[in-house]
Amino acid sequence: MTNIINYFQSSIWTIVSFIMVTIIILIPLLSFLSYSFFTVDNVEIIHEFSLYNFKEFLTGEIYIPTFFRTLLLALTVMIACMITGYPIAYFLAMYAHRSKYFILLILIIPLFMSYIIKIYMMRSILGYSGLINKLLMMFGIISEPSEFFLYNQNAVIITLIIILLPLIIIPTFTSLEKIPRNIIEATYDIGCKPFQSFRYVIFPISLPGLIVGAVFVFILALGDFVTPQLVGGTSGFTYGKIIYSNFGMAFNWPFGTALASILLIVSVIIILLTNYLTRKT
Amino acid sequence: MTRAETFTKYILGFLTIFVVIALYAPIVLTIFYSFYKTRKGKVDWDSFSYEPYTKLIFEKQILESLVNSVYVGLVTVVFSVLIGFYFANYYHTHKGKMREFLQFVIFLPFLLPPIISGLALLIFFREVGLPRSLNTVVIGHTIFVLAIVYKIILNKLETLKPSLMESAYDLGANKLQAFWYVLLPNIKLSLVIAGLLAFTISLDETLITLFLIGDDTTWPIKLWAKMRVGFSKQVNASVTLILILTTTLVLLIAWIISKSEKKIMY
Repeated sequence: MTNIINYFQSSIWTIVSFIMVTIIILIPLLSFLSYSFFTVDNVEIIHEFSLYNFKEFLTGEIYIPTFFRTLLLALTVMIACMITGYPIAYFLAMYAHRSKYFILLILIIPLFMSYIIKIYMMRSILGYSGLINKLLMMFGIISEPSEFFLYNQNAVIITLIIILLPLIIIPTFTSLEKIPRNIIEATYDIGCKPFQSFRYVIFPISLPGLIVGAVFVFILALGDFVTPQLVGGTSGFTYGKIIYSNFGMAFNWPFGTALASILLIVSVIIILLTNYLTRKT
Repeated sequence: MTRAETFTKYILGFLTIFVVIALYAPIVLTIFYSFYKTRKGKVDWDSFSYEPYTKLIFEKQILESLVNSVYVGLVTVVFSVLIGFYFANYYHTHKGKMREFLQFVIFLPFLLPPIISGLALLIFFREVGLPRSLNTVVIGHTIFVLAIVYKIILNKLETLKPSLMESAYDLGANKLQAFWYVLLPNIKLSLVIAGLLAFTISLDETLITLFLIGDDTTWPIKLWAKMRVGFSKQVNASVTLILILTTTLVLLIAWIISKSEKKIMY
Protein backbone atom coordinates (compact mmCIF):
# COMPACT_ATOMS: atom_id res chain seq x y z
CA MET A 1 0.00 0.00 0.00
CA THR A 2 2.68 2.50 0.99
CA ASN A 3 4.52 1.51 -2.14
CA ILE A 4 1.54 2.48 -4.23
CA ILE A 5 1.17 5.79 -2.42
CA ASN A 6 4.88 6.44 -2.83
CA TYR A 7 4.72 5.63 -6.48
CA PHE A 8 1.69 7.82 -6.91
CA GLN A 9 3.33 10.69 -5.04
CA SER A 10 6.49 10.57 -7.04
CA SER A 11 4.58 10.43 -10.28
CA ILE A 12 2.58 13.50 -9.23
CA TRP A 13 5.88 15.31 -8.70
CA THR A 14 6.96 14.20 -12.12
CA ILE A 15 3.76 15.45 -13.70
CA VAL A 16 3.86 18.78 -11.89
CA SER A 17 7.48 19.42 -12.85
CA PHE A 18 6.79 18.39 -16.40
CA ILE A 19 3.83 20.75 -16.67
CA MET A 20 5.80 23.60 -15.15
CA VAL A 21 8.71 23.22 -17.53
CA THR A 22 6.37 22.78 -20.46
CA ILE A 23 4.45 25.96 -19.74
CA ILE A 24 7.36 28.23 -19.05
CA ILE A 25 9.88 26.92 -21.56
CA LEU A 26 8.68 24.34 -24.06
CA ILE A 27 5.40 25.90 -25.19
CA PRO A 28 7.02 29.30 -25.85
CA LEU A 29 9.71 27.55 -27.88
CA LEU A 30 7.14 25.55 -29.81
CA SER A 31 4.93 28.54 -30.52
CA PHE A 32 8.10 30.28 -31.63
CA LEU A 33 8.85 27.48 -34.05
CA SER A 34 5.28 27.37 -35.34
CA TYR A 35 5.40 31.10 -36.08
CA SER A 36 8.14 30.52 -38.59
CA PHE A 37 5.58 28.79 -40.80
CA PHE A 38 3.11 31.69 -40.70
CA THR A 39 3.01 34.68 -42.97
CA VAL A 40 2.17 38.31 -42.54
CA ASP A 41 -0.27 40.51 -44.41
CA ASN A 42 0.40 44.17 -43.63
CA VAL A 43 0.04 44.08 -39.86
CA GLU A 44 -2.06 40.90 -39.58
CA ILE A 45 -0.35 37.62 -38.88
CA ILE A 46 -1.92 34.82 -40.90
CA HIS A 47 -1.98 31.59 -38.93
CA GLU A 48 -1.69 29.25 -41.85
CA PHE A 49 1.03 26.78 -42.65
CA SER A 50 3.38 28.04 -45.31
CA LEU A 51 7.01 27.54 -46.26
CA TYR A 52 7.19 31.02 -47.71
CA ASN A 53 9.62 32.35 -45.09
CA PHE A 54 12.13 29.59 -45.64
CA LYS A 55 11.88 30.02 -49.38
CA GLU A 56 12.56 33.69 -48.84
CA PHE A 57 15.58 32.84 -46.70
CA LEU A 58 17.01 30.56 -49.39
CA THR A 59 16.34 32.87 -52.32
CA GLY A 60 16.91 36.27 -50.71
CA GLU A 61 20.21 37.83 -51.67
CA ILE A 62 21.45 38.91 -48.27
CA TYR A 63 20.29 36.23 -45.85
CA ILE A 64 22.57 33.29 -46.54
CA PRO A 65 25.72 35.39 -47.07
CA THR A 66 24.96 37.32 -43.85
CA PHE A 67 24.38 34.07 -42.02
CA PHE A 68 27.75 32.69 -43.04
CA ARG A 69 29.47 36.01 -42.42
CA THR A 70 28.02 36.00 -38.91
CA LEU A 71 29.15 32.39 -38.38
CA LEU A 72 32.64 33.48 -39.43
CA LEU A 73 32.48 36.49 -37.14
CA ALA A 74 31.41 34.37 -34.18
CA LEU A 75 34.17 31.90 -35.03
CA THR A 76 36.75 34.70 -35.11
CA VAL A 77 35.58 36.00 -31.74
CA MET A 78 35.64 32.47 -30.34
CA ILE A 79 39.17 31.71 -31.55
CA ALA A 80 40.46 35.08 -30.35
CA CYS A 81 38.89 34.44 -26.94
CA MET A 82 40.42 30.95 -26.82
CA ILE A 83 43.89 32.22 -27.71
CA THR A 84 43.71 35.00 -25.13
CA GLY A 85 41.67 33.23 -22.49
CA TYR A 86 43.55 29.96 -22.28
CA PRO A 87 46.97 31.44 -21.41
CA ILE A 88 45.35 33.59 -18.73
CA ALA A 89 43.50 30.64 -17.20
CA TYR A 90 46.80 28.73 -17.37
CA PHE A 91 48.67 31.54 -15.67
CA LEU A 92 46.09 31.69 -12.90
CA ALA A 93 46.00 27.96 -12.31
CA MET A 94 49.74 27.32 -12.51
CA TYR A 95 51.62 30.44 -11.51
CA ALA A 96 49.35 32.75 -9.56
CA HIS A 97 49.44 30.60 -6.40
CA ARG A 98 47.46 32.11 -3.58
CA SER A 99 46.20 35.13 -5.46
CA LYS A 100 44.58 33.03 -8.19
CA TYR A 101 41.04 33.35 -6.87
CA PHE A 102 41.50 37.05 -6.36
CA ILE A 103 42.67 37.60 -9.94
CA LEU A 104 39.90 35.34 -11.21
CA LEU A 105 37.38 37.47 -9.35
CA ILE A 106 38.84 40.62 -10.91
CA LEU A 107 38.43 39.00 -14.32
CA ILE A 108 34.85 37.88 -13.60
CA ILE A 109 33.46 41.14 -12.22
CA PRO A 110 33.28 42.92 -15.63
CA LEU A 111 30.97 40.13 -16.77
CA PHE A 112 28.29 41.47 -14.46
CA MET A 113 28.88 45.09 -15.34
CA SER A 114 26.52 46.89 -17.62
CA TYR A 115 26.54 45.34 -21.04
CA ILE A 116 25.20 48.44 -22.78
CA ILE A 117 27.76 50.69 -21.11
CA LYS A 118 30.65 48.52 -22.21
CA ILE A 119 29.49 48.68 -25.81
CA TYR A 120 28.86 52.41 -25.59
CA MET A 121 32.28 53.10 -24.14
CA MET A 122 33.98 50.85 -26.68
CA ARG A 123 32.62 53.31 -29.20
CA SER A 124 34.57 56.15 -27.69
CA ILE A 125 37.63 53.96 -27.23
CA LEU A 126 37.69 52.66 -30.80
CA GLY A 127 36.51 55.85 -32.48
CA TYR A 128 38.34 58.20 -34.82
CA SER A 129 39.63 60.37 -31.98
CA GLY A 130 39.40 57.54 -29.47
CA LEU A 131 41.87 56.12 -27.02
CA ILE A 132 43.24 53.41 -29.32
CA ASN A 133 44.01 55.84 -32.10
CA LYS A 134 45.61 58.27 -29.68
CA LEU A 135 47.81 55.55 -28.18
CA LEU A 136 48.85 54.22 -31.58
CA MET A 137 49.75 57.73 -32.69
CA MET A 138 51.62 58.42 -29.49
CA PHE A 139 53.80 55.39 -30.07
CA GLY A 140 54.23 56.40 -33.69
CA ILE A 141 52.70 53.21 -35.10
CA ILE A 142 50.32 55.19 -37.27
CA SER A 143 50.70 58.79 -38.37
CA GLU A 144 47.03 59.73 -38.54
CA PRO A 145 43.88 58.36 -36.90
CA SER A 146 42.69 55.13 -38.43
CA GLU A 147 39.10 54.26 -39.21
CA PHE A 148 39.96 50.61 -38.89
CA PHE A 149 38.34 50.29 -35.48
CA LEU A 150 34.85 51.74 -35.61
CA TYR A 151 31.59 51.13 -37.45
CA ASN A 152 32.73 47.97 -39.18
CA GLN A 153 33.24 44.26 -38.53
CA ASN A 154 36.49 44.84 -36.62
CA ALA A 155 34.67 46.98 -34.08
CA VAL A 156 32.06 44.27 -33.56
CA ILE A 157 34.76 41.62 -33.11
CA ILE A 158 36.84 43.68 -30.67
CA THR A 159 33.81 44.67 -28.60
CA LEU A 160 32.48 41.10 -28.42
CA ILE A 161 35.89 39.85 -27.31
CA ILE A 162 35.98 42.40 -24.50
CA ILE A 163 32.47 41.42 -23.39
CA LEU A 164 32.75 37.63 -23.71
CA LEU A 165 36.35 36.90 -22.74
CA PRO A 166 35.63 36.19 -19.03
CA LEU A 167 33.21 33.44 -20.07
CA ILE A 168 36.03 31.36 -21.49
CA ILE A 169 38.43 31.98 -18.63
CA ILE A 170 36.09 30.61 -15.93
CA PRO A 171 35.53 27.01 -17.20
CA THR A 172 39.09 26.72 -18.49
CA PHE A 173 40.45 27.78 -15.13
CA THR A 174 38.26 25.31 -13.24
CA SER A 175 39.35 22.40 -15.42
CA LEU A 176 43.04 23.42 -15.21
CA GLU A 177 42.84 23.89 -11.48
CA LYS A 178 41.49 20.39 -10.95
CA ILE A 179 44.72 18.86 -12.28
CA PRO A 180 46.67 17.58 -9.27
CA ARG A 181 50.21 18.92 -8.98
CA ASN A 182 51.69 15.45 -8.60
CA ILE A 183 50.43 14.43 -12.03
CA ILE A 184 52.43 17.26 -13.58
CA GLU A 185 55.46 16.34 -11.45
CA ALA A 186 55.07 12.73 -12.52
CA THR A 187 55.34 13.75 -16.16
CA TYR A 188 58.67 15.44 -15.36
CA ASP A 189 59.85 12.36 -13.51
CA ILE A 190 59.29 10.16 -16.52
CA GLY A 191 61.36 12.59 -18.58
CA CYS A 192 58.88 14.93 -20.16
CA LYS A 193 60.05 18.35 -21.20
CA PRO A 194 57.73 21.12 -19.97
CA PHE A 195 56.21 21.53 -23.40
CA GLN A 196 55.61 17.80 -23.77
CA SER A 197 53.99 17.68 -20.38
CA PHE A 198 51.71 20.49 -21.47
CA ARG A 199 50.99 19.03 -24.88
CA TYR A 200 50.23 15.46 -23.81
CA VAL A 201 48.90 15.81 -20.27
CA ILE A 202 47.77 19.25 -19.18
CA PHE A 203 46.15 20.40 -22.39
CA PRO A 204 44.02 17.27 -23.00
CA ILE A 205 42.73 17.37 -19.42
CA SER A 206 41.79 21.03 -19.67
CA LEU A 207 40.26 20.73 -23.13
CA PRO A 208 36.63 20.08 -22.05
CA GLY A 209 36.63 23.29 -20.02
CA LEU A 210 38.02 25.23 -22.94
CA ILE A 211 35.41 23.76 -25.27
CA VAL A 212 32.53 24.63 -22.94
CA GLY A 213 33.73 28.21 -22.67
CA ALA A 214 34.33 28.45 -26.40
CA VAL A 215 30.82 27.23 -27.20
CA PHE A 216 29.34 29.79 -24.82
CA VAL A 217 31.27 32.56 -26.51
CA PHE A 218 30.37 31.28 -29.97
CA ILE A 219 26.64 31.05 -29.35
CA LEU A 220 26.43 34.43 -27.64
CA ALA A 221 28.46 36.09 -30.39
CA LEU A 222 26.28 34.42 -33.00
CA GLY A 223 23.01 35.71 -31.58
CA ASP A 224 24.10 39.17 -30.47
CA PHE A 225 22.23 42.03 -32.08
CA VAL A 226 22.99 44.96 -29.81
CA THR A 227 26.74 45.10 -30.41
CA PRO A 228 26.50 45.21 -34.24
CA GLN A 229 23.71 47.75 -33.91
CA LEU A 230 25.85 50.11 -31.86
CA VAL A 231 29.39 49.71 -33.14
CA GLY A 232 28.90 47.85 -36.41
CA GLY A 233 27.82 50.72 -38.62
CA THR A 234 26.49 49.87 -42.04
CA SER A 235 29.02 47.23 -43.03
CA GLY A 236 28.96 45.41 -39.71
CA PHE A 237 25.40 44.16 -39.63
CA THR A 238 24.91 40.59 -38.53
CA TYR A 239 22.31 37.89 -38.70
CA GLY A 240 21.01 38.77 -35.24
CA LYS A 241 20.51 42.34 -36.31
CA ILE A 242 18.43 41.24 -39.32
CA ILE A 243 16.26 39.13 -37.01
CA TYR A 244 15.80 42.03 -34.64
CA SER A 245 14.90 44.46 -37.43
CA ASN A 246 12.00 42.19 -38.42
CA PHE A 247 10.49 42.77 -35.01
CA GLY A 248 10.95 46.51 -35.11
CA MET A 249 10.47 48.71 -38.12
CA ALA A 250 9.91 45.99 -40.70
CA PHE A 251 7.01 44.41 -38.90
CA ASN A 252 7.37 40.83 -40.03
CA TRP A 253 7.39 38.56 -37.02
CA PRO A 254 6.96 35.27 -38.90
CA PHE A 255 9.93 35.96 -41.15
CA GLY A 256 12.06 37.12 -38.22
CA THR A 257 11.09 33.95 -36.40
CA ALA A 258 11.98 31.80 -39.39
CA LEU A 259 15.43 33.40 -39.50
CA ALA A 260 15.77 32.89 -35.75
CA SER A 261 14.67 29.27 -35.93
CA ILE A 262 17.62 28.56 -38.22
CA LEU A 263 19.81 30.10 -35.53
CA LEU A 264 18.03 27.90 -32.99
CA ILE A 265 18.73 24.72 -34.96
CA VAL A 266 22.40 25.61 -35.37
CA SER A 267 22.69 26.37 -31.64
CA VAL A 268 20.98 23.16 -30.57
CA ILE A 269 23.26 21.11 -32.83
CA ILE A 270 26.30 22.83 -31.33
CA ILE A 271 25.05 22.30 -27.77
CA LEU A 272 24.34 18.59 -28.33
CA LEU A 273 27.71 18.15 -30.04
CA THR A 274 29.50 19.82 -27.15
CA ASN A 275 27.63 17.69 -24.69
CA TYR A 276 28.74 14.59 -26.58
CA LEU A 277 32.36 15.73 -26.95
CA THR A 278 32.89 16.79 -23.35
CA ARG A 279 31.20 13.70 -21.96
CA LYS A 280 33.43 11.38 -23.92
CA THR A 281 36.74 12.93 -22.94
CA MET B 1 61.84 26.39 -12.68
CA THR B 2 63.76 26.52 -15.92
CA ARG B 3 64.59 29.76 -17.65
CA ALA B 4 62.06 29.09 -20.38
CA GLU B 5 59.40 28.51 -17.79
CA THR B 6 60.18 31.72 -15.92
CA PHE B 7 60.01 33.51 -19.24
CA THR B 8 56.58 31.97 -19.99
CA LYS B 9 55.40 32.94 -16.56
CA TYR B 10 56.26 36.60 -17.07
CA ILE B 11 54.80 36.70 -20.57
CA LEU B 12 51.54 35.20 -19.29
CA GLY B 13 51.56 37.59 -16.36
CA PHE B 14 51.87 40.57 -18.67
CA LEU B 15 49.09 39.20 -20.86
CA THR B 16 46.85 38.91 -17.80
CA ILE B 17 47.57 42.49 -16.79
CA PHE B 18 46.89 43.66 -20.32
CA VAL B 19 43.57 41.83 -20.45
CA VAL B 20 42.51 43.19 -17.06
CA ILE B 21 43.21 46.70 -18.36
CA ALA B 22 41.26 46.01 -21.57
CA LEU B 23 38.29 44.58 -19.65
CA TYR B 24 38.15 47.51 -17.27
CA ALA B 25 38.90 50.32 -19.74
CA PRO B 26 35.24 50.92 -20.73
CA ILE B 27 34.16 50.87 -17.10
CA VAL B 28 36.91 53.13 -15.81
CA LEU B 29 36.21 55.62 -18.60
CA THR B 30 32.54 55.77 -17.64
CA ILE B 31 33.39 56.54 -14.05
CA PHE B 32 35.94 59.09 -15.21
CA TYR B 33 33.44 60.87 -17.45
CA SER B 34 30.98 61.14 -14.60
CA PHE B 35 33.46 63.41 -12.82
CA TYR B 36 35.34 65.23 -15.59
CA LYS B 37 34.32 67.15 -18.65
CA THR B 38 35.96 66.89 -22.04
CA ARG B 39 36.35 69.65 -24.59
CA LYS B 40 37.15 68.78 -28.19
CA GLY B 41 38.45 65.39 -27.19
CA LYS B 42 40.72 66.81 -24.50
CA VAL B 43 40.15 66.30 -20.83
CA ASP B 44 39.58 69.39 -18.78
CA TRP B 45 41.37 68.45 -15.57
CA ASP B 46 39.94 71.35 -13.59
CA SER B 47 36.37 70.34 -14.19
CA PHE B 48 36.14 67.80 -11.42
CA SER B 49 32.73 67.81 -9.85
CA TYR B 50 30.36 65.40 -8.23
CA GLU B 51 27.41 67.53 -9.21
CA PRO B 52 25.94 64.86 -11.57
CA TYR B 53 25.47 62.64 -8.55
CA THR B 54 23.45 65.19 -6.64
CA LYS B 55 21.57 66.18 -9.79
CA LEU B 56 20.61 62.55 -10.23
CA ILE B 57 17.81 63.08 -7.72
CA PHE B 58 16.00 65.25 -10.27
CA GLU B 59 16.28 62.73 -13.09
CA LYS B 60 12.89 61.14 -12.66
CA GLN B 61 13.16 58.80 -15.64
CA ILE B 62 16.50 57.34 -14.63
CA LEU B 63 15.38 56.85 -11.05
CA GLU B 64 12.15 55.25 -12.17
CA SER B 65 13.99 52.82 -14.41
CA LEU B 66 16.33 51.99 -11.51
CA VAL B 67 13.38 51.25 -9.25
CA ASN B 68 11.84 49.08 -11.98
CA SER B 69 15.09 47.15 -12.36
CA VAL B 70 15.32 46.51 -8.64
CA TYR B 71 11.68 45.38 -8.56
CA VAL B 72 12.21 43.00 -11.49
CA GLY B 73 15.42 41.71 -9.89
CA LEU B 74 13.80 41.02 -6.53
CA VAL B 75 10.76 39.23 -7.92
CA THR B 76 13.02 37.25 -10.24
CA VAL B 77 15.09 36.15 -7.25
CA VAL B 78 12.02 34.88 -5.39
CA PHE B 79 10.63 32.94 -8.35
CA SER B 80 13.91 31.56 -9.66
CA VAL B 81 15.07 30.36 -6.24
CA LEU B 82 11.71 28.69 -5.51
CA ILE B 83 11.44 27.00 -8.90
CA GLY B 84 15.18 26.30 -9.01
CA PHE B 85 15.05 24.61 -5.64
CA TYR B 86 12.00 22.61 -6.69
CA PHE B 87 13.75 21.22 -9.75
CA ALA B 88 17.08 20.70 -8.03
CA ASN B 89 15.30 18.71 -5.34
CA TYR B 90 13.37 16.83 -7.99
CA TYR B 91 16.55 15.92 -9.85
CA HIS B 92 18.25 14.96 -6.61
CA THR B 93 15.50 12.67 -5.31
CA HIS B 94 14.29 11.06 -8.53
CA LYS B 95 15.77 8.68 -11.04
CA GLY B 96 15.11 7.92 -14.65
CA LYS B 97 15.10 9.57 -18.03
CA MET B 98 12.56 12.21 -17.03
CA ARG B 99 14.95 14.12 -14.81
CA GLU B 100 17.57 14.27 -17.53
CA PHE B 101 14.97 15.62 -19.92
CA LEU B 102 13.81 18.26 -17.44
CA GLN B 103 17.37 19.31 -16.77
CA PHE B 104 18.02 19.69 -20.48
CA VAL B 105 14.91 21.85 -20.92
CA ILE B 106 15.81 24.03 -17.94
CA PHE B 107 19.24 24.64 -19.43
CA LEU B 108 17.87 25.55 -22.86
CA PRO B 109 17.05 29.24 -22.24
CA PHE B 110 20.46 29.73 -20.69
CA LEU B 111 22.37 27.97 -23.46
CA LEU B 112 20.46 29.29 -26.45
CA PRO B 113 21.18 32.78 -27.76
CA PRO B 114 19.15 35.24 -25.64
CA ILE B 115 17.46 36.51 -28.79
CA ILE B 116 15.72 33.12 -29.12
CA SER B 117 14.44 33.00 -25.55
CA GLY B 118 13.26 36.60 -25.89
CA LEU B 119 11.47 35.93 -29.16
CA ALA B 120 9.88 32.71 -27.96
CA LEU B 121 8.38 34.44 -24.93
CA LEU B 122 7.33 37.48 -26.96
CA ILE B 123 5.37 35.29 -29.35
CA PHE B 124 3.96 33.15 -26.55
CA PHE B 125 2.70 36.20 -24.66
CA ARG B 126 1.15 37.59 -27.80
CA GLU B 127 -0.64 34.32 -28.51
CA VAL B 128 -2.06 34.00 -25.00
CA GLY B 129 -2.92 37.68 -24.97
CA LEU B 130 -0.71 38.75 -22.10
CA PRO B 131 0.27 42.41 -22.54
CA ARG B 132 3.94 43.26 -22.21
CA SER B 133 4.87 44.76 -18.88
CA LEU B 134 7.41 44.45 -16.10
CA ASN B 135 5.77 41.15 -15.19
CA THR B 136 6.55 39.61 -18.55
CA VAL B 137 10.13 40.80 -18.07
CA VAL B 138 10.15 39.01 -14.71
CA ILE B 139 9.06 35.78 -16.40
CA GLY B 140 11.80 36.17 -19.01
CA HIS B 141 14.48 36.82 -16.40
CA THR B 142 13.29 33.93 -14.25
CA ILE B 143 13.57 31.49 -17.11
CA PHE B 144 16.98 32.84 -18.05
CA VAL B 145 18.57 32.65 -14.60
CA LEU B 146 16.76 29.43 -13.63
CA ALA B 147 19.53 27.21 -14.99
CA ILE B 148 22.22 28.91 -12.91
CA VAL B 149 20.13 28.94 -9.75
CA TYR B 150 19.17 25.31 -10.30
CA LYS B 151 22.77 24.23 -10.86
CA ILE B 152 24.10 25.98 -7.76
CA ILE B 153 21.41 24.48 -5.52
CA LEU B 154 21.76 21.03 -7.11
CA ASN B 155 25.54 21.05 -6.60
CA LYS B 156 24.98 21.79 -2.94
CA LEU B 157 22.33 19.08 -2.58
CA GLU B 158 24.68 16.53 -4.10
CA THR B 159 27.33 17.22 -1.46
CA LEU B 160 24.88 16.23 1.29
CA LYS B 161 24.90 12.63 2.38
CA PRO B 162 21.66 10.70 1.81
CA SER B 163 21.88 9.59 5.44
CA LEU B 164 21.19 13.16 6.54
CA MET B 165 17.58 13.18 5.44
CA GLU B 166 17.11 9.51 6.29
CA SER B 167 18.14 10.05 9.88
CA ALA B 168 15.76 12.98 10.12
CA TYR B 169 12.93 10.71 9.01
CA ASP B 170 14.11 7.96 11.37
CA LEU B 171 13.92 10.40 14.26
CA GLY B 172 10.28 10.95 13.44
CA ALA B 173 10.36 14.14 11.44
CA ASN B 174 7.70 14.53 8.82
CA LYS B 175 8.53 15.85 5.36
CA LEU B 176 7.99 19.48 6.25
CA GLN B 177 10.01 19.25 9.47
CA ALA B 178 12.82 17.43 7.73
CA PHE B 179 12.89 20.15 5.13
CA TRP B 180 12.70 23.05 7.56
CA TYR B 181 15.02 21.84 10.30
CA VAL B 182 17.48 19.67 8.40
CA LEU B 183 17.60 20.40 4.70
CA LEU B 184 17.11 24.16 4.69
CA PRO B 185 19.84 25.07 7.20
CA ASN B 186 22.24 22.92 5.21
CA ILE B 187 21.55 24.48 1.86
CA LYS B 188 20.67 28.05 2.84
CA LEU B 189 24.03 29.48 1.81
CA SER B 190 23.64 28.07 -1.67
CA LEU B 191 20.16 29.62 -1.82
CA VAL B 192 21.63 32.99 -0.85
CA ILE B 193 24.39 32.71 -3.43
CA ALA B 194 21.95 31.66 -6.12
CA GLY B 195 19.61 34.52 -5.22
CA LEU B 196 22.35 37.15 -5.24
CA LEU B 197 23.63 35.89 -8.57
CA ALA B 198 20.12 35.90 -10.04
CA PHE B 199 19.65 39.49 -8.89
CA THR B 200 22.98 40.61 -10.31
CA ILE B 201 22.25 39.02 -13.68
CA SER B 202 18.69 40.31 -13.79
CA LEU B 203 19.86 43.85 -13.03
CA ASP B 204 21.84 43.99 -16.25
CA GLU B 205 19.84 41.68 -18.52
CA THR B 206 19.33 43.51 -21.81
CA LEU B 207 18.84 41.18 -24.75
CA ILE B 208 15.76 39.30 -23.51
CA THR B 209 14.32 42.39 -21.84
CA LEU B 210 14.35 44.35 -25.10
CA PHE B 211 11.71 41.99 -26.47
CA LEU B 212 9.56 41.70 -23.38
CA ILE B 213 9.41 45.23 -22.06
CA GLY B 214 6.24 47.21 -22.64
CA ASP B 215 5.91 50.89 -21.91
CA ASP B 216 7.95 50.73 -18.73
CA THR B 217 11.71 50.76 -18.79
CA THR B 218 14.30 48.97 -16.79
CA TRP B 219 17.67 50.56 -16.31
CA PRO B 220 19.58 48.86 -19.17
CA ILE B 221 16.69 49.66 -21.53
CA LYS B 222 16.83 53.29 -20.44
CA LEU B 223 20.54 53.32 -21.25
CA TRP B 224 19.83 51.77 -24.63
CA ALA B 225 17.28 54.49 -25.36
CA LYS B 226 19.55 57.28 -24.12
CA MET B 227 22.46 56.07 -26.16
CA ARG B 228 21.11 57.51 -29.40
CA VAL B 229 21.25 61.03 -28.04
CA GLY B 230 24.49 60.48 -26.14
CA PHE B 231 24.92 60.12 -22.43
CA SER B 232 24.48 62.98 -20.04
CA LYS B 233 26.67 63.22 -16.97
CA GLN B 234 23.76 62.04 -14.88
CA VAL B 235 23.58 58.83 -16.88
CA ASN B 236 27.29 58.26 -16.29
CA ALA B 237 26.71 58.93 -12.62
CA SER B 238 23.89 56.38 -12.47
CA VAL B 239 26.15 53.90 -14.22
CA THR B 240 28.83 54.45 -11.61
CA LEU B 241 26.37 53.87 -8.81
CA ILE B 242 25.10 50.64 -10.40
CA LEU B 243 28.68 49.50 -10.95
CA ILE B 244 29.34 49.96 -7.25
CA LEU B 245 26.21 47.95 -6.47
CA THR B 246 27.04 45.05 -8.79
CA THR B 247 30.67 44.94 -7.67
CA THR B 248 29.52 44.82 -4.06
CA LEU B 249 27.10 42.02 -4.88
CA VAL B 250 29.76 39.97 -6.69
CA LEU B 251 32.24 40.51 -3.87
CA LEU B 252 29.57 39.49 -1.38
CA ILE B 253 28.92 36.29 -3.33
CA ALA B 254 32.66 35.56 -3.46
CA TRP B 255 32.96 36.24 0.24
CA ILE B 256 30.10 33.89 1.11
CA ILE B 257 31.58 31.18 -1.09
CA SER B 258 35.01 31.50 0.47
CA LYS B 259 33.46 31.57 3.92
CA SER B 260 31.46 28.44 3.39
CA GLU B 261 34.77 26.94 2.21
CA LYS B 262 33.15 23.94 0.66
CA LYS B 263 32.91 24.30 -3.06
CA ILE B 264 29.41 25.22 -3.97
CA MET B 265 29.88 26.25 -7.53
CA TYR B 266 31.33 23.78 -9.99
